[in-house]
Amino acid sequence: MAATAATPVTPTEPDPDRCVSEEESRGAEAEEENTQQQTGPAAAVSHSRLSKLPLARIKALMKTDPDVSLASQESVFIIAKATELFVEMIAKDSLVYAQQGKRKTLQRKDLDNAIEAIDEFAFLEGTLD
Amino acid sequence: MAERPEDLNLPNAVITRIIKEALPDGVNVSKEARRAISQAASVFVLYATSCANNFALKAKRKTLNAGDVLAAMEEMEFERFLEPLREALEVYKKGQKGKKEVSEQKRKDKEKKPDSENEKSREEEEEEEERMEEEPEAENDAEDEEVEN
Repeated sequence: MAATAATPVTPTEPDPDRCVSEEESRGAEAEEENTQQQTGPAAAVSHSRLSKLPLARIKALMKTDPDVSLASQESVFIIAKATELFVEMIAKDSLVYAQQGKRKTLQRKDLDNAIEAIDEFAFLEGTLD
Repeated sequence: MAERPEDLNLPNAVITRIIKEALPDGVNVSKEARRAISQAASVFVLYATSCANNFALKAKRKTLNAGDVLAAMEEMEFERFLEPLREALEVYKKGQKGKKEVSEQKRKDKEKKPDSENEKSREEEEEEEERMEEEPEAENDAEDEEVEN
């Protein structure tokens, strides 16, 4: 894991700047993202751009677990990134059910179907409202 | 300021963006589906954290590290995430290194001590673990925004 990569790895993110104009109209939560990107020294902001999800929020969530005492910055980042991948995955897997129903709109029931059918999502059973 | 899991959600705008980028054009997502996915994401964070923490505890460490999270992904049967996560971690680490060099340069300019080597390792430890308690400036601004709104 500690091996240094000689060739630079292309980040999977598209340029996060383009999200600013799109999201600005969407209210307070979007503002939170924007200020995080616009204020502060460039060096402090650049590392958090690798993750679309705000690391502070992820960290706060992690801290609600009483068994967790400390977490390295890297671990917070990796969890943020993994959550992003998870969201992508569950959206895609749910879409299959929408398409089966000849719909172009993803609905809650598509999600329920995916959770029931797919082993990796078993941990979600009974957890959603 | 005790935060309960139920109070903490991931920003809707970001979740929506991730979903839209994952799905083909022309596909819509209902509000209920979006909300459920957001909730699922929070559950995922908690579950992954708990799982990763077990690995840390097993190794008799108090600090969760990236390796614990990767091990958790495997345990949770999300092996498909491992490769992209490892790649992202490399890029992240490089970014961090650059940031540290900048702050170290500032410290060196301030205090001209001959023993800069010792300072370095001590700083690394402090920064790594302190992060849980003390948040970087940029993120503080963001959180202040949230409270005011």
